[in-house]
Amino acid sequence: MSTDPDFTGPTTENLVFDAAEAQRRRRGSTLVRIGDHLKREWQLYAMLLPTILWLIIFLYKPMYGLQIAFKDYSIFRGVADSPWIGLEHFNTLFNNDQFLRAVKNTVIISFYSLLFGFPMPILLALMFNEVLNQTFKKSAQTIVYLPHFISSVIIAGIVITAFSPSAGIVNTVLGWLGIDSIYFLTKPEWFRPIFVGTGIWQEAGFQSIVYLAAIAGVSPTLYESAVVDGASRWQMMWKITVPSIMPTIIIMLIIRIGNILEVSFEMIILLYQPATYETADVVNTFIYRQGLQGGQYDFAAAAGLFNAVVAFVLVMTANTISKRYSRTSLW
Amino acid sequence: MSGVSLKGIVKAYGALQVVHGIDLEVQEKEFVVLVGPSGCGKSTTLRMIAGLEEISDGDLTIDGRHVNRVAPKDRDVAMVFQNYALYPHLNVADNIAFGLRIRKESKETIASSVEEVGGILGLTPYLERRPADLSGGQRQRVAMGRAIVRRPKVFLFDEPLSNLDAKLRTQMRAEIKRLHKRLGVTSIYVTHDQVEAMTLADRIVVMHDGRIEQIGSPMELFLNPVNTFVAGFLGSPPMNMVNARIVAGDLGPVAEFGDNKIQLDQVASLQNSVGQDVVLGIRPEFVTVADDTVPHRVSVEVDLIETLGSEALIHASLQGDPFVIRTETVGQMNVLDGISGFTIAPHLIRVFDAKTGVSLPGQAVGQ
Ligand SMILES: Nc1ncnc2c1ncn2[C@@H]1O[C@H](COP(=O)(O)OP(=O)(O)OP(=O)(O)O)[C@@H](O)[C@H]1O
Ligand SMILES: [Mg+2]
Repeated sequence: MSTDPDFTGPTTENLVFDAAEAQRRRRGSTLVRIGDHLKREWQLYAMLLPTILWLIIFLYKPMYGLQIAFKDYSIFRGVADSPWIGLEHFNTLFNNDQFLRAVKNTVIISFYSLLFGFPMPILLALMFNEVLNQTFKKSAQTIVYLPHFISSVIIAGIVITAFSPSAGIVNTVLGWLGIDSIYFLTKPEWFRPIFVGTGIWQEAGFQSIVYLAAIAGVSPTLYESAVVDGASRWQMMWKITVPSIMPTIIIMLIIRIGNILEVSFEMIILLYQPATYETADVVNTFIYRQGLQGGQYDFAAAAGLFNAVVAFVLVMTANTISKRYSRTSLW
Repeated sequence: MSGVSLKGIVKAYGALQVVHGIDLEVQEKEFVVLVGPSGCGKSTTLRMIAGLEEISDGDLTIDGRHVNRVAPKDRDVAMVFQNYALYPHLNVADNIAFGLRIRKESKETIASSVEEVGGILGLTPYLERRPADLSGGQRQRVAMGRAIVRRPKVFLFDEPLSNLDAKLRTQMRAEIKRLHKRLGVTSIYVTHDQVEAMTLADRIVVMHDGRIEQIGSPMELFLNPVNTFVAGFLGSPPMNMVNARIVAGDLGPVAEFGDNKIQLDQVASLQNSVGQDVVLGIRPEFVTVADDTVPHRVSVEVDLIETLGSEALIHASLQGDPFVIRTETVGQMNVLDGISGFTIAPHLIRVFDAKTGVSLPGQAVGQ
């Protein structure tokens, strides 16, 4: 016979083995795996690209400058050539009464904003959800959204006018009640309530949109089923609506806690004055005055870095706690 | 007597009327199934009974009490929804207990009821789980548990099984039937699946365009449909419809179509309708297949024979229209090979008026 079976050639078993081996080797290499993945999903990454570029240019590149927090920075020498001085700026910072006061004020103002400002949009959303008359609902929503779209400068102008001792509506009303005019904006004890109240007035309506959207996502049959079971509107609100939007509430809370040191800085600048620094000066305004007005960039950068690190720790903590206790987390 | 009675129930959305006056008496402990094509008003009717939709006109009584204006919670009904309507943030036990908690029942009552219902429905191992961690069938059972735990006078089901796959549906269907036997609660069940209707119902209500076409026991509707709509809706495969004309024959009325003639039943209404155009309703199951040797057969052209084991579906055409025959296979394979037509007993042919689609009176197939 002319053809003996050739045992050295590729038998089926050998081919299968080779393929498996090649696959194993291939799977072993992370680089190859990433390459395969990119080849397959490149369109998705292409869509991601603009955001990544934005992040790099506006958030990561400036981080290069953060090093001046540890340097004796001078504009003439530049970031790279300024000499390292270690933690000296931080030392100065923690011995600076104004900075410590600013940290304290930041925490207090944030705490009040969170305490009174966080539940407000949720309550608004729940209330809007109960309004049956569509015309009334739409107009009320528009009215509470409106302040969000007005520039902070104008909002501050309105607030200053409203609380002005001569012509302000607040003092006018107090006058009717026989109470003497109060110079609200020069009184340190009035700054925090006015600031927190202004923030709520400006943003609560707009922030309620997130919760309204979450409420809209709750299946109507949950309510119908509850109606047949005999639930009142009040019970449905607490037993269905609130638990259903709880994940949204928690996410918003985590974000909020992460931003707790980001007190609306331009609003403070617009409303405070040296007379109220005692309660009004926060870390950001402190940085602004030291850095931009005082030209102490390195010192201001140290303060800013401190702020960022605290914020980072806060978000991480809030997220971890939430993940452990409620299955909801940002990441 | 916890029956439900609908008298002239109408539903209108503004000027658009979608349910046009429904009369229905549901007896105590009866299982009534509302069936009909999509959009015929089944859900709307059920929701009016539940109190989720306002009744535009007519009278609704539950357990002898006029409840048109009574709030849903005071009607003592429980409803099971197509998408289960389980609370995602509550575990199975809390979902089942929801209705009882709302009614402020005591802790002990709630605990024992939940335990009992969990046992009945085989949910005991899952009581601590959230709905998201359950299978479709288990979720459906929780939804059912929520309804039965309240011991209502009436159960309302709106297509509770349509989100399940075919096998699970069959299984849950049997379970619902068993549950009804055990609890004996008056039930109204909406479905568009005629098999569900046939298997579950004590009585079926066939609806079409917001009207009731026919009410009766499953067999009654199957054997004696009052019009072509009901005839075509129940039964799978559906009844064959053949256009014909009644002529006088030696042995009474005969239906004539093309070259074919079929002997009809000797009912007065048929005998008096000679010359009338009619539609013959022929159930696929009622015909006897015939090969060339059988005289007086109606001949059909066979396109395709689907053998399903014990039975076969023969897809044929009669005068250009599709005609389906369902027949046993055992001992018949040689006939199937040579099939060229069929014969049928006269009384098994249903004759409908060709214009109105209404069954000519006097015809009745005994059960
Ligand atoms: N809010 C509404 N406004 C106007 N028409 C409506 C409204 N709700 C339902 N309809 C109409 O009422 C008719 C009956 O609807 P229904 O939901 O009762 O149908 P169905 O028989 O349950 O159908 P399906 O099997 O698809 O569930 C439909 O034609 C539908 O378009
Ligand atoms: Mg429906």
